[in-house]
Amino acid sequence: MKPHTLKIGVLGPYGAGKTTLVRTLSTIPAVSTEAPSSEGGKATTTVALDYGYLDFGSVGVHLFGTPGQARFHDVLDVVLQGALGALILVRADRPSDLPRVRELRDYVASVLEVPYLLGATHLDKERRWETAEIALFLKEREDRVLRLDPRDSGQARRALARLVELVCEEGGVRCR
Amino acid sequence: MSKQERIEQALDRLRQNMPDIRAAIVASPDGLLIAERGAGNAATRLAAMAATALGLGRRIAQTAQAGEFNELVVRGKDGYLAVFAIEGKAVLALTLPEGGNLGLLRIEAENAVKDVLEEL
Repeated sequence: MKPHTLKIGVLGPYGAGKTTLVRTLSTIPAVSTEAPSSEGGKATTTVALDYGYLDFGSVGVHLFGTPGQARFHDVLDVVLQGALGALILVRADRPSDLPRVRELRDYVASVLEVPYLLGATHLDKERRWETAEIALFLKEREDRVLRLDPRDSGQARRALARLVELVCEEGGVRCR
Repeated sequence: MSKQERIEQALDRLRQNMPDIRAAIVASPDGLLIAERGAGNAATRLAAMAATALGLGRRIAQTAQAGEFNELVVRGKDGYLAVFAIEGKAVLALTLPEGGNLGLLRIEAENAVKDVLEEL
């Protein structure tokens, strides 16, 4: 274990790629709590949390993924307690999810009050919003919305690096 | 009679046998409400919580090498919430006030699980 540890939350609507991201980043076998999904688009869905851990430079990062559907909102409070930063995933090919993303962003900003980044997933789809359009909809700074393929460990690690930087600078967390 | 009505009947029988039971709900493993009795406004949230308890309980049982998940009981100052797996197909959640008979609850829940299983 590293001397400094960060708890990072992973949020996003149903099917955005949260479980995949935790699995891609984790260097230990990730813990998942999945149940068969009755909503389509994928075989299983997270019902409690995903957990993964990685050593990241001078800090140890604990990743906590959350369930995506609004009915699990109570679970978010529990799973994200003590989180120091958040990655919010958004499907670029599903603009109808954006109001839900905005709710999650507002929750992170006003309830958790921690630094966050938005990661646009499914950018390989033909019909998609670009990161700048997503930023515009959410009234976010453009540099807070990143391209993030949760299956790509390079992109995932770059996004995490940016977030850890933010947490260490803006969040007032000691990282070294 | 529809499937939902038959599941609701099973919950009615359960509550007749044990009138202490406040709320009885059946939910899918991913937290969608299938049927409820006595849960009122809390039904959809209870369904999501029951699925969360089932998912986490399964994981905990596995990690603790306790085998297949069977039940999870949460005891608060004023009562209990008990969650039972209905095989892999659904989850049964029951609430009981403090001082309620947990032993009887288990027996009744086991019967209800069998009844509901026949409908799924």
